[in-house]
Amino acid sequence: MKINSYVRIIVALISLILLSGCWDIKEIDKRNFPLIIGISKENKEEYKVSLHIPTSEKGGKMSRTVSQKGTNVSSILGQLRTNIEDAVYYKQVRLIIIQNKLANDKEDLSELIKFLMKSKELPSIALIAITEENIEKMFSNINGKHFSHTTSIIDYFYKGADWAPEISTTRIWEVYRSLFSYTKDIAIPVVNSGKDTILNYEGAAILKNGKITEKINPSENQFVILFKNHNANGIIENLGNASIMVTNSSLKIKPSMLTSEPIVSSNLSLKIDILERKEGVTNDQIQSKLEKQFKKQFYDMLDKAQKNKTDIFGFGQHFRNQIPFHELKNWREEYYPNLKVNFQVHVIIE
Amino acid sequence: MTQRLQIGLVFITMSMGFGFLQYPNLIFKITKTGHFVVVLSYGLLQMFLMIIYKKGLNYFPKQDIIDIYLKMGRWVAFIFLIPYVLNLTALVAMSLRQHAENIGSIFLSRTPDWSILILLLFISTFTAIKGLGTILRSSFFIFFIVNFLVLFVVISSIVNVDFKNALPAYPSSLDFLTKKDFFYLMGFSSILFLGFVPPETKLKFGQLFAEWTYVIFFYLAVVYLPLFIFGQETVVTFHFPAKDAVDSVDINWFIFNQQTIFFGMSMVGLTILLNAVLLWIIGQIIRKLFNWQRNKPSYWICAFSLIAFIFAVSVPNLAWIEKLSLWSAGVHAYFIVIIPFTIFIYGVIANRGMTGYENK
Repeated sequence: MKINSYVRIIVALISLILLSGCWDIKEIDKRNFPLIIGISKENKEEYKVSLHIPTSEKGGKMSRTVSQKGTNVSSILGQLRTNIEDAVYYKQVRLIIIQNKLANDKEDLSELIKFLMKSKELPSIALIAITEENIEKMFSNINGKHFSHTTSIIDYFYKGADWAPEISTTRIWEVYRSLFSYTKDIAIPVVNSGKDTILNYEGAAILKNGKITEKINPSENQFVILFKNHNANGIIENLGNASIMVTNSSLKIKPSMLTSEPIVSSNLSLKIDILERKEGVTNDQIQSKLEKQFKKQFYDMLDKAQKNKTDIFGFGQHFRNQIPFHELKNWREEYYPNLKVNFQVHVIIE
Repeated sequence: MTQRLQIGLVFITMSMGFGFLQYPNLIFKITKTGHFVVVLSYGLLQMFLMIIYKKGLNYFPKQDIIDIYLKMGRWVAFIFLIPYVLNLTALVAMSLRQHAENIGSIFLSRTPDWSILILLLFISTFTAIKGLGTILRSSFFIFFIVNFLVLFVVISSIVNVDFKNALPAYPSSLDFLTKKDFFYLMGFSSILFLGFVPPETKLKFGQLFAEWTYVIFFYLAVVYLPLFIFGQETVVTFHFPAKDAVDSVDINWFIFNQQTIFFGMSMVGLTILLNAVLLWIIGQIIRKLFNWQRNKPSYWICAFSLIAFIFAVSVPNLAWIEKLSLWSAGVHAYFIVIIPFTIFIYGVIANRGMTGYENK
């Protein structure tokens, strides 16, 4: 009886080993964690994948670039794993940069996004960006900057709304969602390597079910972000004779439907700080100028978007409750071109 | 009283274990709009069956359902309960394989499925062998730990929620009630367990109702979380929508860079308790059906968990597992309808015979 209880305790203690879940463990210094993956298409058949891997060696370069070509992305990721000295873990990838040529092809891009989302190894929260440059050149540009460290490129996108209101951060799962969504399109940031900075922000590409329909510049992208987050804090506008910064904002959107003609009335109220002004410019002048400028920018964008049948502001989301579900997939084609938006701006100077 | 509470907790934990992975997926297939109507009508139907079942059981105050079937006749018991045992074995196998696969993909990506399967099955079998007392006691901890984790996962997912994605809010028609998938839904419930617990501590209707409400709220949460984040158009493309919804959350400041692990951990807790109870039910049925000498339930539990393991390991891929687990849930749904009704009808007949006899 006594022996029996000892045996039990020993068995229980041995089974504790199982709790660690270590099947075949690899120490952390023997692993490679690529932080950025660049994907491009060389020609019709061939993909090229580049990894930007930080290294921990002292004195040497802080990161390195590894590239490989192949017929599809998943097999290249597998080959890279074989060829790199240590084990490669893709779970920590924070940014995926897609080359312009690949991104412009609707089929290829949709397939790629689906793969990135379904892959067990790649996290679906990784950010996504498009570049017009050669990816290897871009990575070497990052390495060439003496101030850069491996995480600089991630810091670039995670500045937060207050500091860089023009940059949109778009994740893989959001792009995946937009492949299927009936009522909302998405903006992917476009970046190139900068002369003095690591990256240069060029604006955003608007994706409609996986197809890039238009490109917008950073100040236009502010509006897209404004309608996405309902928040315009930090936007700086140059009005010619004054410049201002938005300190607080609120956006109200009210949809209504008149015999299959959708109408949106949206009220934007801004609290602004005047950063500088020329002599003799009154508050009223600034107010009316700003209101005019915002309105003009917005309507210009809306016109362009309606011509392209791309719902960049996501107005369709507000009509989901008013259009039956089976009609909803016609939103972009039938309803959206007729959409009337009544955009009002109220400016308060603090 | 505490035992009653514990039985309630087991009941809730089992229902959660049944539905956590697959339930949302089925709901999204059944309807495109107004998902809560489907969940609620499922709840009502289950409630109705539960009342029938309870009424039937109340006719036999000191007996569990195996005794009742034996009273109907040995062959009747065999015809109803042996297929049920096989169904339970398939359920154990399929749900464990599915969970092993998911747990593996969340935090044990280099570990083969069979080793995770062994671990899960080993703990479940061990708990089942230890008997109802152990199950009831462990239910207390598992319930609180798992519910805390689920709550955390739900709350932390709120950052990505856009309520407009779940619109239109109401269903266009009620024809989902006639769909085959709606019948499959019935398999995600644990009402049959109530017939196996010791007859002295039968639950009251009020308590049952409260527990079922809790389960329905849980189901609403698992269905609506992915819906709020992705919207109906996207959500139908996922195998396990709840997992993908949780995966989309990025909390930068958090110590764990992936909060899906909490989802995985809650799945471990749920699946272990659920399968322990199923194996225990198998043991009970076999022990009472066969009056052999040296007939210990623990042998049977081990044998059936071995069968389940072999079955689970030999399924080749995820598409198969999904199909098979849906089938086993379908068969379970059949039993969930048929067993309460037979018990109830037999109860009415037996009772009438008895009163008739007394009147003479």
